[in-house]
Amino acid sequence: MKSESSNKIKLGAFITLGLAVLIAGVYFIGEKQQLFRSTFRISGVFKDVAGLQAGNNVRFSGINVGTVENISIISDSAVNVVVIVDEATRKYIRKDAIASIGSEGLMGNKILIINPGLGLKKGIEDNDRIATEQPIDMDDVLLSLKTTIDNASILSSDLAKITKSIEAGKGTIGKLIMDETLARNFDSAIVSLKVGSNGMRLLMADAQGSFARNFDSTFINLKEASAGFKILMDKAKSSWMLWGF
Amino acid sequence: MQQVEPINPPVERIPESTNISIRVSLLSKFFLEVASFSLFMLRFFKEVFKPPYEFNELLKQCFLIGYKSLPLIGITGFIIGLVLTIQSRPTLAKFGAVSWLPAMVGVSIIREIGPVISALIFAGKVGSGIGAELASMKVTEQIDAMQVSWTNPFKYLVVSRVLAATLMLPLLVIFSDAIGLFGSFVGVNLKDHVSFYLFFSQIFQSLEFKDLLPAITKTFFFGFAIGLIGSYTGYNSNKGTEGVGEAANTAVVFSSLMVFIIDMLAVQITSLMQS
Repeated sequence: MKSESSNKIKLGAFITLGLAVLIAGVYFIGEKQQLFRSTFRISGVFKDVAGLQAGNNVRFSGINVGTVENISIISDSAVNVVVIVDEATRKYIRKDAIASIGSEGLMGNKILIINPGLGLKKGIEDNDRIATEQPIDMDDVLLSLKTTIDNASILSSDLAKITKSIEAGKGTIGKLIMDETLARNFDSAIVSLKVGSNGMRLLMADAQGSFARNFDSTFINLKEASAGFKILMDKAKSSWMLWGF
Repeated sequence: MQQVEPINPPVERIPESTNISIRVSLLSKFFLEVASFSLFMLRFFKEVFKPPYEFNELLKQCFLIGYKSLPLIGITGFIIGLVLTIQSRPTLAKFGAVSWLPAMVGVSIIREIGPVISALIFAGKVGSGIGAELASMKVTEQIDAMQVSWTNPFKYLVVSRVLAATLMLPLLVIFSDAIGLFGSFVGVNLKDHVSFYLFFSQIFQSLEFKDLLPAITKTFFFGFAIGLIGSYTGYNSNKGTEGVGEAANTAVVFSSLMVFIIDMLAVQITSLMQS
């Protein structure tokens, strides 16, 4: 009898614990989907949602703040996306916020990103419609990448041709690099320049000596001339012919 | 001149008419089993709602089938979580997506591996146990004795066991999932250093109700099928002691097969409902 009662207690504990684990699981999943929080709805119209699905995350400043609730086509070129956002973030989202569609990494799920506005407008209200930015289409990226690769291919082919021409000694650069005659001429030009500069140096040295001597004698002459001129002027001053000046 | 007897006499061919009759007999046996099983299931649904209710026997069976199976299912769940994480890591590492490991393993365990592996272990332990127990009771004429003593053996033996299996397997799967996720956490931390909070946060971030609820719902059907097949094979065993082993064996084989069939149907129904 005691054993039976003990078994029932164990069974009761087993069932309670199992249900507690289930409830905890349900709570945590619901918590991540904002089910047990106060939320508000906003929407945006996109031309193309690029695979965004109901249930995908909504990010604001890199933080998960909500989930995509509903996606519906409203015309041939417009898709309405309704998102549920945590009430606590309402004060940070302005009416001029812009929604865009991004991706969680290269292979990850699509996410809706709310970029904060300039902060010039009022805070967002329930059921407001915010502006949107079209998502970057991977096909466009690949097309652009293909053009870049094509250009790179042309460039590399041209570069190969130029390298081949240079190697063959064609053109100015080819001759400059590959022609030995040019190098030899250049060498001899340098040697000539060296000889010329030596001669010039000697010439300058000679010229410097004679110049100094001439300069000296010029100054002596000048000095003598100025002394003679002074005497002449003194005599002129004492002459009766220049009285009154 | 004396004729020499051939060393290997030609095998006598079975006449075509006999072959056909064997096939017809096998087919009719199969249909007979299907009809018998269907009637057995109908009787279960008739008896389950009809008083008197065997609550004490139900609780006893819940204890034996559920509580006593927890260590086996828990250990299996832990190993599955650990091994799945260790085996998946190199593939994800090739793509530089190791950070996706908790999410990937979490979804795999909750959606598929936890329920199916637990159900198979449950079929091996409980299905064979029910089959062998009821078959041995049948062989030793205990079931007949119950009938004589005005006790409804079907209600007392079959209904309680099938109900216990139906109710206990979902609980065991919940435990198995939780322990499996813990095993995965240990597996992740063998190579990386991920905090308990971050690990479970990543798992719950990737899970949705559409992952959890269909997975738990199908385990009720797994449990029901295992309990019913085990009870059917045991209750209808009639080959003496030899039949006890056969009943246990048949219970495991058919329960396991039924688990996969129900799983396939559950996946189809879930995907149809979600599309």
